[in-house]
Amino acid sequence: MIGERWRIPLMLAPTLIIIVVLFFGSLGYGFLQSLGWQPNIGNTTFSLDAYATVLFSPEYREQFWSGLWLTIWVSLASTFISAALALMSALLLRQTFIGKKIATFLFQLNLPVPHLVIAIGMIFLFSQSGLAARAAAQLGMISTPNEFPVMLRDAGGVGIILAYLWKEVPFFGIVLLAILQSVGEDYEDLARSLGANRWQRFRHVILPLVMPGLLSSSIIVFAFTFGTYEVPKLLGVRFPEMLPVMALEFFLNPDLNARAEGMALSMIIAAITLLIVVAYMWAGNRAVQR
Amino acid sequence: MTHVILSNLTKSFPGNPVAAVNTMNLDIPSGQLVAFLGPSGCGKTTTLKMIAGLITPTVGDITFDGASVLAVPPEKRGAVMVFQNYLLFPYMSVGQNVGFGLKMRGVEPKVIDRKVIEMLDLVKLPNIANRRPRQLSGGQQQRVALARALITEPKVLLLDEPLSNLDAHLRDEMRELILSIQRNLGVTMIFVTHDQEEAVLLANQIALIFDGVLQQYAAPDVFYRQPISERAARFFGGINFVPATRRGERLETAFGAFHVRTPGVENAPEGEVTLTIRPEQVVLNPADDENCTSGRIRSRIYVGTYTRYKIMIGDIEIEATRSGDIDHALNEGDAVRVGFPADRIWVVGRS
Ligand SMILES: Nc1ncnc2c1ncn2[C@@H]1O[C@H](COP(=O)(O)OP(=O)(O)OP(=O)(O)O)[C@@H](O)[C@H]1O
Ligand SMILES: [Mg+2]
Repeated sequence: MIGERWRIPLMLAPTLIIIVVLFFGSLGYGFLQSLGWQPNIGNTTFSLDAYATVLFSPEYREQFWSGLWLTIWVSLASTFISAALALMSALLLRQTFIGKKIATFLFQLNLPVPHLVIAIGMIFLFSQSGLAARAAAQLGMISTPNEFPVMLRDAGGVGIILAYLWKEVPFFGIVLLAILQSVGEDYEDLARSLGANRWQRFRHVILPLVMPGLLSSSIIVFAFTFGTYEVPKLLGVRFPEMLPVMALEFFLNPDLNARAEGMALSMIIAAITLLIVVAYMWAGNRAVQR
Repeated sequence: MTHVILSNLTKSFPGNPVAAVNTMNLDIPSGQLVAFLGPSGCGKTTTLKMIAGLITPTVGDITFDGASVLAVPPEKRGAVMVFQNYLLFPYMSVGQNVGFGLKMRGVEPKVIDRKVIEMLDLVKLPNIANRRPRQLSGGQQQRVALARALITEPKVLLLDEPLSNLDAHLRDEMRELILSIQRNLGVTMIFVTHDQEEAVLLANQIALIFDGVLQQYAAPDVFYRQPISERAARFFGGINFVPATRRGERLETAFGAFHVRTPGVENAPEGEVTLTIRPEQVVLNPADDENCTSGRIRSRIYVGTYTRYKIMIGDIEIEATRSGDIDHALNEGDAVRVGFPADRIWVVGRS
């Protein structure tokens, strides 16, 4: 007889097996490739050469390290700013006001829009030949569209961050609205009657209540922005270049030996993501406990 | 010690033509324990939240010791509310929960720690400051919520249904606790309940509210002897209601005339009225014949400490209870004399 205790693990087993096989299978295969193992082109020995090339070779060294800082900056800024903006919007949208339904709808409108489309939309709107520049020129705010500030394809990654904000604020927003709705306003009323002012209610009531949801959605957003290339490819500059774009270029290289470097870089990206996610969770939880 | 007065207090929620609380006038002397009693949806919580400042009244005023508090925000008002579902902060320890109000006031951590221990002792929960709220039973959570409110030394303590989520045993314990705290600290307390028994057990004064309107405000026993209306009487377990015509002390009913001399009846309605008497005041086979009529026992139910009789007088059913052992002289189908003592009969307006 199978005990009751084993029922749930057994029910979960098929799903877990698929996940484990896919995850460790692909990760393992990728890891082997990063060590130079490519039997189809006759490489069956293992070495750390690809890692060394990416990290330290004169050819890639600078590209890697500048790319690393840019990637960390863009991902952290996108995650943090969109979480903060979404929290502010969710607190506003939670209140009762005229047009609340419409505002909430508009707020979530671009959730289903792919990142690629958002990036192209950004170019259409904010590049120096875009809608905003021409409108500003028409209105006489600037004399020619070229004077429009460079918001896209800038070395600081501002354009990329803006595109991510555009896309991730609504994502955080739905998570936060759902949490705020389920906890209601009683906790805040209670805190208020116990003497908490507006800031204290935010700091000691709202923030801790939404923090678990905020942290887990932050991880999703962070890992995503750290590892995808569409938006930075379209809105970034050649140098510094975000790491996923650099990895993409290794993969697109017709020389199959570059595959190892691409994989090594992907492994590095995965490891850094993991590290930062763990640190972020730890810091977030600590901030709340205080 | 704070003297609370509600004058013409009214709250209408947008989109609802019926006011949730309607022109409520109430004087709550300092150090009293007052119950807001009424059925679900009658406006009890709304009134409580208005006193706390969490809901702004549409019309009317609230004063603490003579000064209007309407302009005072809830965080400064000193009217602390304990919610029905406790609402302990799940991300804090029990001690942090209790100390919350002091932390918001910027009190030194050392002082807070000491006070927290004092308060947890007061609610008889020593040594649990480091636990998490979810590790506590409902009754314990309720007491932690109480300690969290008391630590701020509120002017007025507002309790929303403090006993309704507790089982019978815990209710008794909590009731004792609330009473002893009230005696020791002398804080003005208002609590909300939909259970008349709870109101009677705890309160000095009960404010009976139906549909947002204050019906009667009096000491608990008054609701048994002198209810304001049939509905009020029914809410307190009254079941005998007989149409009558009243002229002064004389009441004419379908089954005879009765005298009424209960104190306070002078102010009760005249003319077309309803006679009411509590089942435990109805006398079966009384010694003297004043205020008596004849009926027949329809049913007898023995309930342990008392017996309940249903008696038909003509086509009107009257219920009577008798305490003590079962009386084998009174059986189903027997004829019986039924006495309504003149000083126990009460009169309410015909509804
Ligand atoms: N925020 C609100 N918006 C609109 N109507 C409300 C609001 N709060 C309460 N009401 C209405 O006001 C009336 C009184 O509600 P209230 O919560 O004060 O009742 P209550 O006596 O506390 O009932 P219960 O015993 O069920 O808690 C109800 O009809 C309720 O629907
Ligand atoms: Mg209520």
